[in-house]
Amino acid sequence: MESMVFSSLIFLFAYLPAVLLLYYITPRKGKNLILFVVSLFFYAWGEPIYVLLMLLSITLAYLFGLLIGEYRKENPRRAKLFTVLSVCISLSFLLFFKYYNFFALNLSRVPMVNIPTIAGLALPIGISFYTFQIISYTVDVFRKDCAVQKNYINFGAYVTLFPQLIAGPIVRYTEIDEQLTHRRESAREFATGVFRFVVGLSKKVLIGDALAAGFVYFQDSLSVSPSVAGAWLTVILYSLHLYYDFSGYSDMAIGLGHMLGFSFPENFNYPYVAKSITEFWRRWHISLSSWFREYVYIPLGGNRVGTFKRYRNLAIVWLLTGFWHGADWNFVLWGVYFAVIIITERAFLLHLLEKLPRAVGHLYSLFLIGVGFLIFSHHDLRVAFSTFLALFGVGTDGFISSTGLYTLIRQAPLILISAIGATPLPKQLWERAQAKHPRLQAVAVALCILLFGVCVAYLVDSTFSPFEYTQF
Amino acid sequence: MKHRHSIATVVIFVLLLGSVAVAFWLLPDRNFSARENRALQTLPRFDAEKLFSGELSRAYNDYYADQFPVRDLFVTVKGALELLSGKGENNGILIGRGGQLAKRLFDTARVDKNAATDSDVIDATHLQNAAEGINRATRNAEVPLVVLLTGRTADVAASAFLYPAAESDKMLATLRESVDDRARYLDLVPTYRTLYADGEYVYYRTDHHWTTLGAYYAYCDILRAFGMEKDIIPAKSFQKETVATDFRGTFASASGFHFVPPDSVEVWLLGNEDEFLVTADGCVLDGGFYNRAHLSGNDKYSVFLDGTHDVVTITKKDGTDRPTLAIFKDSFANSVAPFLAQHFDLVLYNLSSPRTDYTDVTAYTRAADADAALVLYTLGNVIETDKINRLR
Repeated sequence: MESMVFSSLIFLFAYLPAVLLLYYITPRKGKNLILFVVSLFFYAWGEPIYVLLMLLSITLAYLFGLLIGEYRKENPRRAKLFTVLSVCISLSFLLFFKYYNFFALNLSRVPMVNIPTIAGLALPIGISFYTFQIISYTVDVFRKDCAVQKNYINFGAYVTLFPQLIAGPIVRYTEIDEQLTHRRESAREFATGVFRFVVGLSKKVLIGDALAAGFVYFQDSLSVSPSVAGAWLTVILYSLHLYYDFSGYSDMAIGLGHMLGFSFPENFNYPYVAKSITEFWRRWHISLSSWFREYVYIPLGGNRVGTFKRYRNLAIVWLLTGFWHGADWNFVLWGVYFAVIIITERAFLLHLLEKLPRAVGHLYSLFLIGVGFLIFSHHDLRVAFSTFLALFGVGTDGFISSTGLYTLIRQAPLILISAIGATPLPKQLWERAQAKHPRLQAVAVALCILLFGVCVAYLVDSTFSPFEYTQF
Repeated sequence: MKHRHSIATVVIFVLLLGSVAVAFWLLPDRNFSARENRALQTLPRFDAEKLFSGELSRAYNDYYADQFPVRDLFVTVKGALELLSGKGENNGILIGRGGQLAKRLFDTARVDKNAATDSDVIDATHLQNAAEGINRATRNAEVPLVVLLTGRTADVAASAFLYPAAESDKMLATLRESVDDRARYLDLVPTYRTLYADGEYVYYRTDHHWTTLGAYYAYCDILRAFGMEKDIIPAKSFQKETVATDFRGTFASASGFHFVPPDSVEVWLLGNEDEFLVTADGCVLDGGFYNRAHLSGNDKYSVFLDGTHDVVTITKKDGTDRPTLAIFKDSFANSVAPFLAQHFDLVLYNLSSPRTDYTDVTAYTRAADADAALVLYTLGNVIETDKINRLR
């Protein structure tokens, strides 16, 4: 299924203007209903059938929310029962659609066990994201962190809000409870949203996609003729690409939120400037790691338990985090990989890193992040392993091919710009300049619009597909 | 942000989205893109079944992309920006001296069937297998067999680019070394490279084919390989007619570099063209060697033998008994055929046909009752398919 991505012409020039128009002509009372309806349309565009599954999930969680609210004061035990039930039902949808075939396939490898897989069982778009949002609501209500949402429309709007529906940020209910009923749209808020959206769009379309092309080039070249530099470039370009692609998408989501008067939590905070892996995970996909901290790690006892249990808790959280990313062994391994690193850091490495020069911490982190993404991006772990060996010259044909070198030189400006752009430096410089020269604000407006136009040119070009008519 | 800047941002952004949205619906739809040479998606009809299969939303996505206002302009702008950024290429098409374009990335067919997409590193094993295919066909051949693998523009026009020719050289060397001595294997790329460097117009700038001049040189070498050097008709005997001066071929389309000067297309006439009977897939081609109707379209190279067909035959109308040459080929052969037809009756089999597999050279040569056979295939297709690997 193909969902309507933000970086598509139909979203930018049909869906978005229609939504903005509807949203702003509707009086306050009806705004959430409009959001709910257009978000369902947005979802149904890519999932015309599974939209019913999502509605079922929402309705059940809404009803359980009412029940938990009813009992949470007088009968906490019953409230707890409903909470567990609601969470289990939400999770069972996720488990079934995302993981059933994985488990069936792998359990069938055990002798005497034969569980049939279901052909054509497709993963509903965004189910990993909206399930987590629903669970956050159920648990928040049970913990009395928030009031029960009695209005079905408001609750539906919270879960389905199209900016964050299919790829986050995962907005916890408490973070947005207030805004659901008491937000204020304004020109300033809207303009902030436009800037943020265009920055995100540019990050994805102008940089992320170009990095992806470079990554694919080096990776595919690697499969024909492995080289040391090719392996390094595969790792570097993929890491940069993933950051620009994903953080760009989050920027767009946050920007769209602002256009509608919402302020979503941040999802990225320059992850590649981290000096340890622990710090990296506080800066990368923040809404996911804080969800796991809030709803898994802390309920398990968090830091307030003995050393063994604390490490056990970390292991559970990271294994789940890895597995959340996809039903495949490489994601399991990815989770184990970070569990091991983070436990090691907690045990002694963090102290050691603090004593060493900062550069060591940076290089250590970047290397481990890159190797992590190598596991992340390869379903076939043998390929990941041979690329890993190639980093150190094992099994390679040479340092770099002549055409690889040519490509590297041509891509160098892009790699350099994107590396600098992944640090806070450009933003700091821009803010300093703006403080000195207030007139730059007008320039920023012009730049923003220009950048938007350039993105559109790139988007149009990406749909341009000449038919090669005479290759016969 | 100051209030007026906020207002300005919102107003411009909203107007931009709104006006494009309105323009989209006001402007008439186009059915066909000349630049891309393909039909465009028109307004999809509503259909419940398609709705639930997701096909409808896909069609709408395509519709929006295909009918986007001033689409070609945006494509040109993107191409120009890529050039300005110093990449020296766009969509995998290099731009070099004199506006020469060349495709640099190919989808490499591999033994394990997992094609390496968009790569330019040579897979030696695949090429050795291709050479093995040539050797096998040579061993089996019952008549003289000549093999000519023509260069890609990137191989031939190397002097126009900073792009290194090392992989190209490696490919040629691998093939040369793996082909048996017995095979009559024509390694013409070095010759063409020199011709190109000397300023001869042997390959088009904007299209992946060779020019008629390039085809003439190939004709000469093919005759030499068959031991017919004395029969070669000198270039000066032909009357050269320029039939198009505004040819913008596949490279121009794919790159969006529409500022590159267009190519011109020549046909070389001896004056006896009417004496030949040309059939394509069983039908007589009225125009004979040349179907000039294609000259008004985008794909002007199709003027030669009317473009793509599975089987083309060329004989003399008066039934003169001449030796028959079976050609296993791709489109490069279409512009050589008129020259070769002066000496042979021809049967051309389209090796790239998606319908019929003509890789059994021995059997098809026998079926055509041919006295000689020629395999004429481009290196681009050698890399991207396993046709040559499967020759027998």
